[in-house]
Amino acid sequence: MKKFIAIFIATLLPAMLFSANAWATSSIKAEVNGMVCAFCAKGIEKKLKAMPQTQAVFVDLKQHIVVLELKDGQDVPLGEFKQVIKDAGYDVTKAEVVAQSAADIRAGAK
Amino acid sequence: MLKKLVLAGMLAMPFGAQAAALMGFADSGMLMGEVGRYYQETMLNYSPRLGHALGVEYMRMEGKDDNVSSISTINYTGLIQRWNMKGGQMNLWFSGGLGESHGDDGRGLAYTPGLQFDYETTRLYFLAKAGLVRAPGMNFDTAAIQGGFSFYETAFDQTQPWFVLEARTMRNMSPAFQLTPALRFINKDFFLELGVSSPFDPEHRGPRVNFMFLF
Repeated sequence: MKKFIAIFIATLLPAMLFSANAWATSSIKAEVNGMVCAFCAKGIEKKLKAMPQTQAVFVDLKQHIVVLELKDGQDVPLGEFKQVIKDAGYDVTKAEVVAQSAADIRAGAK
Repeated sequence: MLKKLVLAGMLAMPFGAQAAALMGFADSGMLMGEVGRYYQETMLNYSPRLGHALGVEYMRMEGKDDNVSSISTINYTGLIQRWNMKGGQMNLWFSGGLGESHGDDGRGLAYTPGLQFDYETTRLYFLAKAGLVRAPGMNFDTAAIQGGFSFYETAFDQTQPWFVLEARTMRNMSPAFQLTPALRFINKDFFLELGVSSPFDPEHRGPRVNFMFLF
């Protein structure tokens, strides 16, 4: 029985913790063409912040990236995310879901 | 008169301030303007969807012999083509208005069609534009080119300073040619440009302010 508990703690618990952690820090990170001016790209931030699933938004003109951090348990289809960027006048060349917060990505971009 | 109305309607487009963007994003409003010694302009537009904006514009020109003219129009701005690149953006805009002129010769139908091309990166900027500013007894046709550079890269939430030099001609203005060096400050909420027109001409030298607000 002790061995079983030890195996449980050694395998399942970290997996559960990792899963919970990943759940809490899910973001969509996209590479966007055409973003050169904060005044012109304001629409991206405003539209993404208005989404109910949004926890935080990070826009980096130099790295050409837009990050949408999601609230716990929330999801935004990549197609919907890309459409917001497109409606603001820009082109998404790559978009992926990452297990990082917007703050982590911002810190990494510096 | 009808022929003029149809022609003006086909060409109708406003000619905004000085930035590459002549409108905001979908469902946004923009207020822009220019205040100079001989020319003042203000425009308010609303963009219901990307690439199209409707608004109102007012222009005041102090021409030769100190004649003062003004034009009020309802205008439309359209994005003809946009090229998004990894480190830059190019745009071709169509802009103009249809309205009424006021001047020493009385009132008349005014029309202000124009085209603008711009290219911008986070460090470099170029713009060329030309347009008609016409009404009975009035001709303030204009053309301008601008070039500039930013002093350094900034984060999205910071204000970026630029140096911009503009060369502009405007018919029947005094002077018809103006050179304006300016400092431009771009933030995600506003655009502000402070310049001096005709800095080497003491008779015509004067301050110039351009601004844009997005909401």
